[in-house]
Amino acid sequence: MTNTRNIETNTNLSSPLGARGSLDVRGLTIDAKNVDFYYSEFHALKNINFEVSKNEVVALIGPSGCGKSTFLRLLNRMNDLIPGTRMTGSVLIDGEDIYAPNIHVDELRKEVGMVFQKPNPFPKSIFENVAYGLRVNGIKDKTFIEERVIESIKSAALWDEVKDKLNKSAFALSGGQQQRLCIARALAISPKVVLMDEPASALDPISTAKIEDLIHELKKDYTIIIVTHNMQQASRVSDKTAYFYLGELIEFDKTTTIFTNPKEHSTQNYVTGRFG
Amino acid sequence: MKRFFEKFVESALLISGSITSITILLIIIFLFKEASGLFTTPVIEEGYELALNKTNPVKHLTSYEIKEIFDGKISNWNEVGGKNEAIELVRLSDLTKYYTEAELGSNFENIPAKSSELTSKHPGIILFLPTSYIKKDFNGTLLKHETLHPGDFFGGKEWYPTASPSPQYGLLPLLLGTLWVSLGAILLSLPFGISVAVYLAEIASMRVRNILKPVIELLAGIPSVVYGFFGLVVIVPFLQKLFQLPVGETALAGSVVLGIMALPTIITVAEDAMRTVPRAMKEASLALGATHWQTIYKVIIPYSKSGITSAAVLGIGRAIGETMAVLMVTGNAAVIPHTLLEPVRTIPATIAAELGETAAGGGHYQALFMLGVILFVITMIISISIEFIGKKKYSN
Ligand SMILES: Nc1ncnc2c1ncn2[C@@H]1O[C@H](COP(=O)(O)OP(=O)(O)OP(=O)(O)O)[C@@H](O)[C@H]1O
Ligand SMILES: [Mg+2]
Repeated sequence: MTNTRNIETNTNLSSPLGARGSLDVRGLTIDAKNVDFYYSEFHALKNINFEVSKNEVVALIGPSGCGKSTFLRLLNRMNDLIPGTRMTGSVLIDGEDIYAPNIHVDELRKEVGMVFQKPNPFPKSIFENVAYGLRVNGIKDKTFIEERVIESIKSAALWDEVKDKLNKSAFALSGGQQQRLCIARALAISPKVVLMDEPASALDPISTAKIEDLIHELKKDYTIIIVTHNMQQASRVSDKTAYFYLGELIEFDKTTTIFTNPKEHSTQNYVTGRFG
Repeated sequence: MKRFFEKFVESALLISGSITSITILLIIIFLFKEASGLFTTPVIEEGYELALNKTNPVKHLTSYEIKEIFDGKISNWNEVGGKNEAIELVRLSDLTKYYTEAELGSNFENIPAKSSELTSKHPGIILFLPTSYIKKDFNGTLLKHETLHPGDFFGGKEWYPTASPSPQYGLLPLLLGTLWVSLGAILLSLPFGISVAVYLAEIASMRVRNILKPVIELLAGIPSVVYGFFGLVVIVPFLQKLFQLPVGETALAGSVVLGIMALPTIITVAEDAMRTVPRAMKEASLALGATHWQTIYKVIIPYSKSGITSAAVLGIGRAIGETMAVLMVTGNAAVIPHTLLEPVRTIPATIAAELGETAAGGGHYQALFMLGVILFVITMIISISIEFIGKKKYSN
């Protein structure tokens, strides 16, 4: 696997957050403080404090409806799209408050990529899907785009399966392939953080295993937050695990601690399957 | 009991469905039946004859040639394939120029003899007179009673159904008038309609949209006379001033009015199409750092392309069939238009304006029904293309 980050040095892919050099003093990539979130009247997240260092893989677990997706979508401001929502507290990424008024949301989302629960490729060719993020970034250099697309598809462990049909519709791929294409698409713009919302929930065990392997690889270059309902998956892929329950972050610790010796009773119940 | 009730409802639905289909079928059959007689109507008015000198080699004149001769636009036989000989047009009333009233007889009883004599004496004559005045041993050629040739209709450049002796039923000016007005309407309304649809679907806040959408849908319900009235009072004088025209009633005025009328359809259909773009698609684009505008033109518009096309086609459909408003603002001159700034007349407007004045079963009446058939065919092509576009969408 090639190092996908070093490409940044010879491109004009600017790093709107990092470029300002405001790196967090403690070296935290993500630092959420006292976050409360409301869907109109509904209090979906309650006083969340959440810190992630560079190149960590963090799993978010918890019963359905506990606010995992809501929290994940706060990190790239996807919740802005839902009318009537409100947030208090602060979220820092690389030391910069992403909810500050001077932040351009589209620039932020280039830094914080996202892979959704259901594969959602565009109705375009495989190549164009991956090139999309580069093109909306204003990159016109054909050879650069081509290299970057190929490299991203390789990083997403999809190259061998699609190398002969890059110009075919992305819809012609299987669900697992589509999901890896979506990962490739997210990687193409070299984000710092990759958010994954149950990326393997719609996939068979083989595709799931491929994506888990992939996460191990990507860890070298990216900080990854992954939502999952699969306890084995959480324990296999993550360094740290955060357990959410009813909008609260109950426990957040090393994955091994969470799964073998959690402090909270409710965490214990959840990870051992006696709950939820 | 319940089963019986279900059966009852089922058959009631079946019956109403069949009745509707049969009614539609009957209307279509009626339309075609009434129109079918057109190509069996004589070129020359019924009960009249056109007579030529025996030496005249011309044995056949088309409907259009007859009309041009009677309009004085063709004045020499060589223009219609004859000798170089001036055409001498004689109507019944012109006989008094050649003969005194005494010669024609006090009860015009000598007309048959005199007209025969006149025809034989003048080599360039074309005599138009009632069949009853033609005697058996008439000394001249009577033009054969031909029926209207399909070419005269489909390729005819003049619509002049009251022309005597040969009414002109040329489709071209009306068809072109219809197409020009509709095309103008769609060119005006499509860009505007799509912009409004984008605005409503993507940019407007929920509150603005909840106000605007019903208002736009309301526009679709305004009777077309009201639009026509608005066009007549506002748009016609405005265009006349703007382009310094002799008259403001032009194809363009029709296009503007129709464009406004087609807007609600285009906006509603296009907006609905844009709303069906899955949220996942938009979120995928935004999550890759695309701006809202980039998402609109790179994802939302391409994704709803077929819906936008349907909107355009439905808009055209509405424009092509519209009658009243167009009748009021286009000036109704049945001539082939060369620019949008000339008066034109559309097919529906012609039918509406003229059907009342025609005798059932006559050539004019049948010609109007044939126009109805043409309109039907055009709208059918449009519906089929909508269907086709829709199919393509789902097979994708
Ligand atoms: N758009 C919305 N409007 C209102 N309430 C919402 C919205 N989205 C989510 N919620 C509510 O917020 C809470 C948290 O939802 P969220 O989607 O974050 O849960 P989750 O932990 O991701 O659940 P799952 O595991 O089922 O995906 C739920 O109670 C949900 O009903
Ligand atoms: Mg979720």
